[in-house]
Amino acid sequence: MGLQTQPYGIQGMLKEGHKHLSGLDEAVVKNIDACKQLSTITRTSLGPNGMNKMVINHLDKLFVTSDTATIVNELEIQHPAAKILVLAGKAQQEEIGDGANLVVSLAGELLQGAEELIRMGLHPSDIIIGYTKASNKAVEILEGLAEEGSDTMDVRNKVEVILRMKAAVASKQYGQEDILCPLIADACIQVCPKNPMNFNVDNVRVAKLLGGGLHNCTTVRGMVLKGDTVGSIKRIEKAKVVVIAGGVDTTATETKGTVLIHSAEQLENYAKTEEAKVEELIKAVADSGAKVIVSGAAVGEMALHFCERYKIMVLKIGSKFELRRFCRTTGAIALLKLGSAVNPDDLGYVDSISVEEIGGARVTVVRNEQGGNSVTTVLLRASTDSILDDLERAVDDGVNTYKALCRDSRIVPGAAATEIEFARKLKEFSFTETGLDQYAIAKFGESFEMVPKTLAENAGLNAMEIISSLYAEHSCGNVKVGIDLQEGACKDVSTLNIWDLYVTKFHALKYAADAVCTVLRVDQIIMSKPAGGPGRRDQPAGMDNED
Amino acid sequence: MSVRVLNPNAEVLNKSAALHMNINAAKGLQDVLKSNLGPKGTIKMLVGGAGDIKLTKDGNTLLKEMQIQNPTAIMIARTAVAQDDISGDGTTSTVIFIGELMKQAERCIDEGMHPRVLVDGFEIAKKATLQFLEKFKTPVVMGDEPDKETLKMVARTTLRTKLYEDLADQLTDIVVNSVLCVRKPEEAIDLFMVEIMHMRHKFDVDTRLVEGLVLDHGSRHPDMKRRAENCHILTCNVSLEYEKSEINAGFFYSNAEQREAMVAAERRSVDERVRKIIELKNKVCNGTEDNFVVINQKGIDPPSLDLLARAGIVALRRAKRRNMERLVLACGGEAVNSVDDLTPDCLGWAGLVYEHVLGEEKYTFVENVKHPNSCTILIKGPNDHTIAQIKDAVRDGLRAVKNTIEDGAVVRGAGAFEVAARQHLVNEVKKTIKGRAQLGVQAFADALLIVPKTLAENSGLDTQDVIISLTGEHDNGNVVGLNQHTGDPIDPQMEGIFDNYAVKRQIINSGPVIASQLLLVDEVIRAGRNMRKPS
Repeated sequence: MGLQTQPYGIQGMLKEGHKHLSGLDEAVVKNIDACKQLSTITRTSLGPNGMNKMVINHLDKLFVTSDTATIVNELEIQHPAAKILVLAGKAQQEEIGDGANLVVSLAGELLQGAEELIRMGLHPSDIIIGYTKASNKAVEILEGLAEEGSDTMDVRNKVEVILRMKAAVASKQYGQEDILCPLIADACIQVCPKNPMNFNVDNVRVAKLLGGGLHNCTTVRGMVLKGDTVGSIKRIEKAKVVVIAGGVDTTATETKGTVLIHSAEQLENYAKTEEAKVEELIKAVADSGAKVIVSGAAVGEMALHFCERYKIMVLKIGSKFELRRFCRTTGAIALLKLGSAVNPDDLGYVDSISVEEIGGARVTVVRNEQGGNSVTTVLLRASTDSILDDLERAVDDGVNTYKALCRDSRIVPGAAATEIEFARKLKEFSFTETGLDQYAIAKFGESFEMVPKTLAENAGLNAMEIISSLYAEHSCGNVKVGIDLQEGACKDVSTLNIWDLYVTKFHALKYAADAVCTVLRVDQIIMSKPAGGPGRRDQPAGMDNED
Repeated sequence: MSVRVLNPNAEVLNKSAALHMNINAAKGLQDVLKSNLGPKGTIKMLVGGAGDIKLTKDGNTLLKEMQIQNPTAIMIARTAVAQDDISGDGTTSTVIFIGELMKQAERCIDEGMHPRVLVDGFEIAKKATLQFLEKFKTPVVMGDEPDKETLKMVARTTLRTKLYEDLADQLTDIVVNSVLCVRKPEEAIDLFMVEIMHMRHKFDVDTRLVEGLVLDHGSRHPDMKRRAENCHILTCNVSLEYEKSEINAGFFYSNAEQREAMVAAERRSVDERVRKIIELKNKVCNGTEDNFVVINQKGIDPPSLDLLARAGIVALRRAKRRNMERLVLACGGEAVNSVDDLTPDCLGWAGLVYEHVLGEEKYTFVENVKHPNSCTILIKGPNDHTIAQIKDAVRDGLRAVKNTIEDGAVVRGAGAFEVAARQHLVNEVKKTIKGRAQLGVQAFADALLIVPKTLAENSGLDTQDVIISLTGEHDNGNVVGLNQHTGDPIDPQMEGIFDNYAVKRQIINSGPVIASQLLLVDEVIRAGRNMRKPS
């Protein structure tokens, strides 16, 4: 390309390989298209009857799940607009830990509505104004739908916790929520601190062990560590614990040291002094009353020998974070290294440490029944790794729901009752508006129909019938009527006991509306040449081939 | 050409071809940036080489991110970037103004005018416009207490062109307050004293001003307090970790006892330093509930952390250099480089120090300080591109407020200045000039109108209608700008739409210079080296 033949406009000015899309048709509509495709993928996974997806990521790892956060994460979305949706879904996952599917599917539906409006002749900025108004209105409606009296709850009441957790867990592991929910609720309530606001998700651990079945799942108050103890003592009860962050071994200087030996005698003596020193250290531990040494690094042969002699159990925990958790569980304060004196205040306490064999794997189970606010582990058993992973995600969702309900325990009717109410109220609201945005508001409302529609479709029911009867019930004032997926009929959710958390819905609504407005605001895309490096893999299925 | 003077690979453009290439490039760049201008401008999505997304409306960001290759376009882009460096805003205006000057010039040249004459006209018009700007500006008195309302109006005008309205209005207060916070009488404003920190958390409207400091790391010891009230703060730059000697040293020992002694000796100097800090803590916090926080620029190794934790001290290590300066400004006290002569006077004070954990990131908030001379704008947003967008906008907002305080003047915005300047040039200046330079002045005057024109275009209004109604009002002696919603003339003073004086001056100064340079080019030669892939 010579100077003379440079084309007019931006194309001629950028480096080769750049792409520039602008205008309504090229940028906005294409963006919407990509987002729609993404939401079509996730939509079928919505709700308890949602289908699972099989995703194989670039490392050839297999995921079988209906958890949207995982799906979109592993899909490696490339299209910039679709990516915005993915980011919104991730934000929801990080903030609440559940409802990512609602965000992506709803955003897709809203964009589809926007496309129809654009074809009708509305300008994207009108749609943005309308959508913003509608989402503010929807938040208002949501406030009104919150179940009375649900804002104050006892976060230690198992029944109430399960009630709120059920919908989230059921959407991941339908049919098994009755087994999982009590487990999760138990685990959460046990570690819930005095001020529930400070609930830490990290305190509920998940240990996955292959073999057995769902019925073998249990919770352990304490920790389950993979691997064996170091020494020969495999079981101990009611013991004091000393935790050492560094290794249990002879001390060394930071600067390189050299042993200076002049004679054979000294050589012999050197080994002896060394031994004496280590014995002194281990003896100090034994004298303090501790029966267990937990080490964060390697345990020396010699130290181990003396530990055995003083009947001290030795446990090695390689991960720094795991070690901190262990400290929390037992109430110990980690020492840096073995010193001459061990302060009794720094010792922790365990009810029992034992090595057990579960499903062929040796695990060390640390129990601490007394510590109220420590760590609880949910022990999951299942037949394959991918089921275990999926169960873990369900547990994570449940725990996150608990965290969310500790902050705001308000609930709204589930099973699409809230969504239908949104659709109905927003439609009414749109009639009161006079500008062009009323169309956008109406579309915003209509988009919520996607939820009952998808729920019904995924359950193999006739969606249109269900939606119309839902509308009929709601306009009669029965705002708590949702879909009973098992019977395929419309029922009051208070009899079904399906409730969603207010915060989940609130954030999902906000993030979806936010993402949609961002996508609509863009009218030009400038893409630079994809960076070099190892050739990219074939694009995953369902991705827009635009880029 | 029968005989080639140049390398066969070299490319030559001469006479009108060169000129037109320049003009086309300027127009092309103008086209790209045009839709950004004003509060109703649209957003551009930039996709980087690695697939990362950036959303922006800011001309400067856009020019930086776009990898422009055309030589003329690069020249214009550099002028615009210089504009940003000097005044912090007005990049888009610069680019479209240059583009428009070139466009007007093209028309004249096509009619047979010589570029040199045009350039002379530009020069005269530039001088006249700058003089007019001095008359036109609205002076603002900046005493000890600057008029907050005016500052807010300027900040709002800038921010609304970068972000959507609600968020912009919210940021206005934050930006103005933070500049006033770091402002010291009799001294130039140092915007670096406003720390801009981001957290990927919640929504963009949760962005707030922290009167104090937010550090993007936490204490590294599990037993240190996560939340401490009434804190004495020691800001220091003292290494609290064992450092290997420079020379190659080694120990010789012949039994374990000796080795133990070595181990102890090795740490002694570090422990000594830690002990001094603990002594100070005991002195100032003696018997009270007060807490003690050490913020160290250098490292603190685990044994020292442990000692500090046991003494009930919260310690942060490896603080950023820039934050050390800000900390002292925010909390008081002084940054110490040695622990040898610590006195309670070295300590700063903060009402509240707490840690916030977000996933794997830790943040430490130092808040409730007494007389903050430094503050933090904490930007929140659900994803990176939102944060980046707010960050750029905040930076521009800060600059706008600073400019206003330093200029002591503002310019009525919404296109009012451009229309007024054009009327002044056409009605007054042009008549005083003899000869063909008049046409250059006319071209310059018409080019100024591009700003209101583009504003109208981006709002979906009819450009001609708008310009006619605006010039009509100006001829009647009213200074009016454009109402973006209705297309009617409004009084920018009433609506509180003010631009920076420095920004406008810079645009008027740099635009014609670069346009003149480009117009006077009559030959473009590209060296024979083949930069591109052989096609």
